[in-house]
Amino acid sequence: MKHTVLVLLLGLSAGLLGHLGWFFSQRPCGSNDLDCQLEWMKTELKLSDEQFARIKVIHEESSPRLLALAAQVARMREEYDAFEHERTTSGQVDFLEFAHFVEQRRAVDRECLTSTQRLVADASHVMTEQQRERYLGLLGPVLQTGTHILMN
Amino acid sequence: MNPPSDPLDSLLDRWHEVPEPPPHLAPEVWRRIAVIDNRSDQPRFLARIEAAFTRPSFAVAFVAACMLLGLFLAEVRLARLHAERGAQIAQSYLRLIDPLLDKSAVKVAARQP
Repeated sequence: MKHTVLVLLLGLSAGLLGHLGWFFSQRPCGSNDLDCQLEWMKTELKLSDEQFARIKVIHEESSPRLLALAAQVARMREEYDAFEHERTTSGQVDFLEFAHFVEQRRAVDRECLTSTQRLVADASHVMTEQQRERYLGLLGPVLQTGTHILMN
Repeated sequence: MNPPSDPLDSLLDRWHEVPEPPPHLAPEVWRRIAVIDNRSDQPRFLARIEAAFTRPSFAVAFVAACMLLGLFLAEVRLARLHAERGAQIAQSYLRLIDPLLDKSAVKVAARQP
């Protein structure tokens, strides 16, 4: 009886250890930072170590610029909301100021588009044809936004 | 020479009439035998299990099977987790590379296989 209980406990322990060990070693990244995103790309696109290293460098170089642009876009959206609020409450718009805002916004939009396109082009250049197809498929809405901005 | 007296003799002397056996005696006897047989099956089953566990080959196979089951369940959990996290990371990646992207477009893209 003692032997049976021992084997049962050993089996349960082995199963539990195997389960937890494998689960925690293969668990996907928990945060949404750049490292996690790159790890996700590596798995999703089946990148080799060399490709991954190059793509990582490309993203690390572009990331600060893109984050700064994102902050600028958010600020401009707030500015636009302020213009809209003023228009609806006071019924007046400072057209000169608004024209200046629109000009700034267009410049930021163009800069965003250029930065995104450069990043996508550089990253795609490192990939094989199948990887590139999959990557561009994942970027569907980004590319659509780009086309939309280009048309405007 | 008289034989020694047997204690049973007095009892047999008092036994004048043989009582009638109760009705359904034989079926009741067989029923009780069956109940006792069933009771003895359970320890036999446990004994067989115990005997199996004492065999080293069975013990090793049991531990290996437990390990494989644990790995399989971990893999099932991981597949579900990867699918969920993949969609979230895809959203954050799209938001990173395109500051102009609106949230609804990102969600649609993340759902695509």
